[in-house]
Amino acid sequence: MSGTTTIRATGGAGKSGRVTPSRLIRRRQTRLGLLFISPWIIGFCVFYLYPFFATLYYSFTSFTGVGNPVLTGLANFDGLIHDAIFRTALFNTFYYTIIEVPFSTAVALGLALLLNMNVRGQAIYRTLFYIPSIVPVVASSLIFVWIFQPSFGIVNSLLSDIHVTGPSWFFSATWSKPTFILLGLWGLGQPMVIYLAALQGVPREMYEVAALEGAGPWQRLRKVTIPMISPVILFNVIISLVLSIQYFTQAQVIESPPGSPGTSTMFYVTYYYQQAFQDLHLGYASAMSFLLFILVLIITVILLKTSSRWVYYENEQR
Amino acid sequence: MSAPGRAGSMQPAASQALAEPVPAPPSRPPAARRKRRKLGASGGKHTVLIVLSAMFALPLAWMIGTSVKTAQQALTLPVVWWPHPFLWSNYPQLFAALPYFRFFLNTFAYAGITIVGVCISSSLVAYGFSRLRWPGRDGVFYVMLMTLILPFVCTLIPLFVMYKRFGWIGTYLPLEVPTFFGSSVFSTFLLRQFFMTIPQSLSDAARIDGASEFYIYSRIILPLAKPAMATVILFQFIYCWNDYLGPLVYISNQNSYPLSLGLALILGDYTTNWAWVMAGATAATVPIVILFFLTQRTFIQGITLTGQKG
Repeated sequence: MSGTTTIRATGGAGKSGRVTPSRLIRRRQTRLGLLFISPWIIGFCVFYLYPFFATLYYSFTSFTGVGNPVLTGLANFDGLIHDAIFRTALFNTFYYTIIEVPFSTAVALGLALLLNMNVRGQAIYRTLFYIPSIVPVVASSLIFVWIFQPSFGIVNSLLSDIHVTGPSWFFSATWSKPTFILLGLWGLGQPMVIYLAALQGVPREMYEVAALEGAGPWQRLRKVTIPMISPVILFNVIISLVLSIQYFTQAQVIESPPGSPGTSTMFYVTYYYQQAFQDLHLGYASAMSFLLFILVLIITVILLKTSSRWVYYENEQR
Repeated sequence: MSAPGRAGSMQPAASQALAEPVPAPPSRPPAARRKRRKLGASGGKHTVLIVLSAMFALPLAWMIGTSVKTAQQALTLPVVWWPHPFLWSNYPQLFAALPYFRFFLNTFAYAGITIVGVCISSSLVAYGFSRLRWPGRDGVFYVMLMTLILPFVCTLIPLFVMYKRFGWIGTYLPLEVPTFFGSSVFSTFLLRQFFMTIPQSLSDAARIDGASEFYIYSRIILPLAKPAMATVILFQFIYCWNDYLGPLVYISNQNSYPLSLGLALILGDYTTNWAWVMAGATAATVPIVILFFLTQRTFIQGITLTGQKG
């Protein structure tokens, strides 16, 4: 690019209208900009870029952490295809994600809609729904083990009051995953608050116009509310998907040994953690993590690509 | 993401979300019908809300209740709803059995150091992404945002190998050092959003006066960004208080355990004494809940500020 001919006022920096040698300013700003973000650039290279490519490399090797990785071609991926526990882990993670994401989105949105109606004591309800989400994750796991304790837990005790024999929840192969989903639903205060803020940002006139045109509550929800807050929904769904696919902590705290009963709570990352930090199959675990990355990437891309059909942006220039 | 006219009002509207009730929009049916419907509907709404809040509150109430029971009372059927007597001694007993104060101290140290790291690096990086114009800026910014969806396991093994070589395993350094290099994307994002709202003319005026860019950053922008910094500090603190995975990977010596790992320990050791387990859970939860009530505004502002950007 030839710079000598470009003499114009710089974009936002020089609103004064005075003509400045923009190239000089631009170069100065670029240098300064890079200087200011340099901590992140270093961090990005050292803590993201290098380890990401190293993971990719390790996934084609056999590696125990000592000595050098030994190239084994596609052996790890071949092993994963034939690994029954890996398939179970994949299934469990899908099970959790496919139920947890839509449910938590619907419940968080439902609570936000409920709170957004003109109810007395709204602030108290809001706080009550929000508090569980700030309870430390280990604490909330302990609380749920206790309230869902098969013989002395409050849940089964209440169930027996209505003559229902409760299951063993976390300790039943059938019920363990649904119980984790309940634990997830308890802590959805964060998306709820985000939805609530988004709902309060919808201009009231839009509802008035819709009502004048004869739209009922259901139609107003579908034709006004949902489109208006759809970018926020998309953001939350992506975050919640990415987190669900990496589900780990609660299962690790609650189930002992991890993955039990049977392999019903062997989630993807649970199995990864076992392979990497207990069995020291670092190459194998790397292959697992790389596949997880591909999975997350595909899901995110599909969501973003299809989002243009249901996400409505008020002004498109952003 | 909002219409230009509303763009400015977005933030206050968001912070109101938890602070004060805002009358809801829905339609206006004719007055007579409205009144009748309002009575019926509000009764129904309240029933639903009360049932739901009872469900949300029960686990916490049960946690606190159990924490002051005797071990036997916790295992009594039918369940004891109101503990008698209130056995506060579970707390000192638990604190004596496990180095709980040590765990608290470790957590505070971990939080304190990373807060310093995040405040320095994220504010610098956010400044570069918002107050200066340079080609490719927004592209690089999106690259930074994309790291949010990168699963943590995709970098974990090489990092572990690297830290092992540094001799950092068993210390908090693997969790602390990255925060000095902008690893908290959330904080950087939040600060950038805030910096963007500060008029550019302020910087221009200082530049004309010959101020250096670092001077503008440290003497003009940072003092204005105090509320945003408060949010960043608050969230970083809660992040550390909560963090289980990081210490699980890098910390093995029980003396260095943070609260989260220490808390998980009592489940393994004292499963028979649920009163102790719940006392531990309560001790970890109550400080955060108090912190929430003290800083509600900052809290909600932070969540909505990041959530609003679709």
